[in-house]
Amino acid sequence: MRVLEPLIELRRGLWTTLRSMFEKQVTTQYPEHKRPVKARFRGLHVLKRYDNGLEKCIGCALCAAACPADAIFVEASENSAEVRYSPGDRYASTYEINLLRCIYCGFCEDACPTEAIVLGDQYELTFTNRRAAIYTKDMFIEPVPAAGKPTPQKTGPGMFTRSVPEMKDPSD
Amino acid sequence: MFEPILTRNIHRPNSEKIATYLAHGGYAAVKLALTKTPDELIEMVKRSGLRGRGGAGFPAGVKWGYMPKGAGIQKFVAVNTDEGEPGTFKDREIVERDPHQVIEGVIIAAYAVGASRAYVYIRGEFFLGVKRWIKAIADAYEYGFLGRNILGSGFDLDMSVHRGAGAYICGEETAMLESLEGKRGNPRLKPPYPAQAGLFGLPTLVHNIETLACIPHIVERGPEWFASIGTAESKGPKIFSVSGHVNRPGNYELPLGVTLREIIYEHAGGIRGGRELKAVIPGGASTPMLTASQIDVPMAYETLKAAGSELGTGAIVVLDVTTCMVETARRLTKFFAHESCGRCTPCRIGSQRLYETLDRIESGKGTMDDIDRAVELARGIDGITFCPMGAMLVNPARSAIQHFRPEFEYHILNKHCLVCKSKERNYG
Amino acid sequence: MTKQVTLTIDGQQVAVSEGTLIVNAAKQIGIDIPVFCYHPKMEPVGMCRQCLVEVGRPVVDRATGQVVMEDGKPKIQFGAKLETACTTPVSDGMVVLTASEKAKANQREILEFLLTSHPLDCPVCDKGGECPLQNLTLAHGAPASRFIYDEKQHADKRVPLGDLIWLDRERCIQCARCIRFQDEIAGESVLAFYQRGRATDIITNSEPGFDSIFSGNTTDICPVGALTTADFRFGARPWEMKAAASICSQCPVGCNVTLNTRREAKSGGKVVLKRVMPRQNEAVNEIWICDKGRFAHHFTENEHRLATPLARKDGKLALVSWDKALGLVAGKLADAKGEAVVLASGRLSNEDLFNLKQLADGLGGEALLYTQMGGGELTTAYGVPAGTNFAEMGIGTTILVVASDLYNEAPIWYLRLKQAAERGATLILANARETKLEKYSQFVVRYSYGDEAETICGLAKKAHVGEAITSAENLVVLYGSDGLGLDGSSALAAACAELVKSRAGKPNNGLIGVWPRANDQGAWELGFKPVADLKAVFQKANVVYIAGADPFGDNPELTSRIPHHASRIPQHASRSTHPAPFIIVQELFLTETAKLADVILPAQAVTEREGSFTSGERRAQRFYPAVPARGQSRADFVITAQIAAEFGLELEGRFAARVMDKMAATVKTFAGISYRELAETTEQWPIVGRGDLYYGGTTYENKQGLGVILALSPSPTGRGARGEGKPLRPDEDHWLAVPVTRLYDLGITVATSALLKARTGGAHILLHPDSAQKLGLAAGEQVELNGNRLEVRLDPTVPVMVALVPRSMGVPIAGPMVAKIKAA
Repeated sequence: MRVLEPLIELRRGLWTTLRSMFEKQVTTQYPEHKRPVKARFRGLHVLKRYDNGLEKCIGCALCAAACPADAIFVEASENSAEVRYSPGDRYASTYEINLLRCIYCGFCEDACPTEAIVLGDQYELTFTNRRAAIYTKDMFIEPVPAAGKPTPQKTGPGMFTRSVPEMKDPSD
Repeated sequence: MFEPILTRNIHRPNSEKIATYLAHGGYAAVKLALTKTPDELIEMVKRSGLRGRGGAGFPAGVKWGYMPKGAGIQKFVAVNTDEGEPGTFKDREIVERDPHQVIEGVIIAAYAVGASRAYVYIRGEFFLGVKRWIKAIADAYEYGFLGRNILGSGFDLDMSVHRGAGAYICGEETAMLESLEGKRGNPRLKPPYPAQAGLFGLPTLVHNIETLACIPHIVERGPEWFASIGTAESKGPKIFSVSGHVNRPGNYELPLGVTLREIIYEHAGGIRGGRELKAVIPGGASTPMLTASQIDVPMAYETLKAAGSELGTGAIVVLDVTTCMVETARRLTKFFAHESCGRCTPCRIGSQRLYETLDRIESGKGTMDDIDRAVELARGIDGITFCPMGAMLVNPARSAIQHFRPEFEYHILNKHCLVCKSKERNYG
Repeated sequence: MTKQVTLTIDGQQVAVSEGTLIVNAAKQIGIDIPVFCYHPKMEPVGMCRQCLVEVGRPVVDRATGQVVMEDGKPKIQFGAKLETACTTPVSDGMVVLTASEKAKANQREILEFLLTSHPLDCPVCDKGGECPLQNLTLAHGAPASRFIYDEKQHADKRVPLGDLIWLDRERCIQCARCIRFQDEIAGESVLAFYQRGRATDIITNSEPGFDSIFSGNTTDICPVGALTTADFRFGARPWEMKAAASICSQCPVGCNVTLNTRREAKSGGKVVLKRVMPRQNEAVNEIWICDKGRFAHHFTENEHRLATPLARKDGKLALVSWDKALGLVAGKLADAKGEAVVLASGRLSNEDLFNLKQLADGLGGEALLYTQMGGGELTTAYGVPAGTNFAEMGIGTTILVVASDLYNEAPIWYLRLKQAAERGATLILANARETKLEKYSQFVVRYSYGDEAETICGLAKKAHVGEAITSAENLVVLYGSDGLGLDGSSALAAACAELVKSRAGKPNNGLIGVWPRANDQGAWELGFKPVADLKAVFQKANVVYIAGADPFGDNPELTSRIPHHASRIPQHASRSTHPAPFIIVQELFLTETAKLADVILPAQAVTEREGSFTSGERRAQRFYPAVPARGQSRADFVITAQIAAEFGLELEGRFAARVMDKMAATVKTFAGISYRELAETTEQWPIVGRGDLYYGGTTYENKQGLGVILALSPSPTGRGARGEGKPLRPDEDHWLAVPVTRLYDLGITVATSALLKARTGGAHILLHPDSAQKLGLAAGEQVELNGNRLEVRLDPTVPVMVALVPRSMGVPIAGPMVAKIKAA
């Protein structure tokens, strides 16, 4: 029996191999083929725009305050009717996230009063040095929608005076 | 038939002239008063049971007694002719037709409390009233009733008129004093009361002119005579300004304690067009309204209080069945929201919110919650405001909802009015 | 001793003095009653109704006057209505419920009312994070509103009240704190309510808007973000900033401030100063600071600050290393020995001045103070001693202010004296012209420019005024240099000292100098002497070591000795046989003086280092570093110590605290003082700056030191010089031009703040309208004074034939002078 034992083992092993050849594949041919992410996946941050192209981010820095990893740095500047980036008085002139620090917890999303920052689908992040891991605003901001204009925009006086969109239903 | 006292002269030709007033026994009370001591006069007013006619009904004699004694202190008398209460037009009648009666009262009051300066604060819109006041004061000076050494008694009194600029709140005594000082007409913190620190921080006696008009008669005919008119706690005659859906609106001078029914149906000639009575506001817009079933209530301080309302200024607004109570409450609350001085939070914001809630109900956009919200708001504003206006401004809405809740519900459910059935709004 | 009253608040018993308001009594035992309109520094008004509490009082039997007892305890009757804790004074046996269901319901309701009309734009609001409305809503607010969001009232969000303060009408909750601050505390009623009811608005009724030098304080006490400073608007969120304690370096008051800093991308990732906030010191500045202190901090971060040592090579300034610069300087100083002169100003700290003095002494040279105001040896001898507090001055105290426009020279002292006068102190103002403080004074003594000392000498004999001075329980004399130079102010100081000599050492008595700089008093204490003839100094000295002073900028004539400025050398100067001195300048900026220096040593600004200042009241106070040093700059005392080390003189150059220890050991008036002592604090009333922003505002609590008043030096080291010669007088065609101080001038520490530019204006002189008419001039036209073209401004308070020339406004003027003025 001692002699036969390796053969039995071999047969069992080959059987497993043979069987798996007919099973459904579990491997994805990444990067040629990418699996779609789940709806609530938290990947690279995106800074959103309104349909007219104005940035949703008002530079309030609540995301930075909420960030448990202290990864976000925001600095605000003042809007004017001539040079307008976002509705209201204030916009983010600097928006940086250190992606080496970020833990993708999504607290920034929760803290945002204008739903400006959203964790997106992008997860392919590589850096060659630490400096490169600090993403800036132009790397987060989404492209201008078809109906909108790029920022800064020149708007009329008295338009877009309020930073936080008026909520129709405050309980929402 | 009640013999008019305060309005006895007003129907005479040229009743505002000093000659007319003198010809009918005018200024006799001053002569009499100057022979008495100030303390005697204060005692007389106390015994007469006279209560303030401006709305609060505070005993006049007690107020006089609060004024500090002593010659060393500069004291003032301030006469309130601001008459901002919607529905009230008695002061205007007095000031336009018989100002000397008031001047006489002021002289006696000033003499009794030791004031040497009297200020008249008159509503800015009373153009004729201002003219008559100025003329009357000038005439009184000329005849020696005002100025240095009045009638040889050694008593000095100067008097001048100050016009208001159209703010309801300046009818409140401390706001009126602020306005007299040239400041923004905001009520002051009490205490100190005006009798301690009033105009320019000095003791000031503030009275409505109807109260002051009673004084000469008390002096002349005696406090006992005065106290014999009226009820147990409400003495003397009162001018009732009757307006609204009556056949003969106007001022009626009657003894306190007369019933609403008598005023409306006997004196004011009943409801216009013979229609049915719906509600009565018994003391000016800021007093709670009464329903048709309550009109047998005597018009006196204590009886109206028991009935859930107040005598206020005695301005009776009669509403017949064609009146929408929702609209009445909305319109009156709008007035108070507009007239809030903005000093304290509950009145400034609460009045506006109350108006908005009523407006929503009235225009058919309301929900059932809105009625409760209005009641809750009224409860919330009442009692926590800086001055009495907070307690007053909620009265129209609160009493209208209390008595006529189905009308409010009808507005909400049917999106139009129960009374006029109209969806149109042709009013502001 | 006022009567004590015992009451119970939320079950806790507390004994407070009679007349205390419920809100303050509660505060004393740690119960915070929410307030919006109430502020402990202002009269209560009871407007916001947020502080309503249930108040019960013992029932008193009318017949017997005895308190009715029930179950062995006094029977308490609660009022039908809630009462405002901010306007109701306590009474014996009172029972207050601040958290009963009724009180809490009211708090919820008022907050709900306020929030229905508030924009809730906290994410963009500068107050967000330190906002009383936010904090109170979190603590007492209802979870949901009964009202509909759509019905919010909208109003203007960007209303400039003035060039410094912005108003957001929508956020305003009409508490009137700002209006009342301006009326009651600043005494400049420039704000008011407009409209009424829900439309009530804050407006300014001055032209230019919000014309007050205390306007910044309204943003601290604003319980919402309605008022914000133009300087800080959207600058940073409050929680992102770090705080460092400091002392304002703009005037001799020595206001305690807190510097808020933050790392900023706009500034290349550097840590920068975002705002200056007051820090509570009830003996100095209470919880206020003036706008100059708040907005004129920008010089510390100006891009033109010196960052590296420079030395002259082939006639041009070139970068050198510190080692080389120090070696060069030390070599020159060692060679010069007794011919070396140290010239420093009161802009430097005690530590810097001490080291400079040690260096001068070690070399056998002179230590000179760059100033145009004398008399410091007298303030050292007869100054106000420990235990002095402006807050205690009231009835019985006489305060004499001579030749000083406190409103412009020391704004916070202006406030303190105004308050003292309102409490009943006798305020006497002696000046040649009307100044703002006169409104609050009991006596005004008017003299002609030039008669200052003489007037004060004769003051005690004058009726009424003399009596007020001699019979006063306490007497404080403040003297300044309005219209005076060094001679005149020294003589004036001597005259003033005579008045207080007999009271020396008694708290709340003494002489105070209203110095032009923050630490002039410190320089006097440390033995610096003023110099009357700077020209002679530059003619005689071999090496001049100038620290924190710009003599050539202030007086270009002095440059005649300096060869690097050939164009300015007048003919006669070149005939001099004495070689030009070697000039060392230790500075923040490349000033006119620095441009002519042989070596320039970059110094650190007050925000970048540790140190201490001695205020005009002789209070030594510490400041702490807030931001990293600019470039290679070093603290002044460090540079001096390093120079000294080069030639073997051992000075402390590592820690400021050690310099102070040395000072305490060698300088008599500093005896026993240490940094630890300067950092000590005691509890102050009112309690501010903790979790209770709604009570006192966003002022910082003082945890870093209240400072110590220096001991007096019983024997004055020198005597105030009597003025020599006759006073200058104007005549038919000669004018008397006198120097005066303006709050906002063109000095380097103010001019770099762009916001204040509009208020500063350009070079000008002030003339009486009649004088101007004589010259045929109208306001705004140009005149010529000693070769300078100046704009004419008219001011009816100026004496006739006198021209007021503001200091540091582009015209050199050291003291009064007779001059010709003509239309240009």
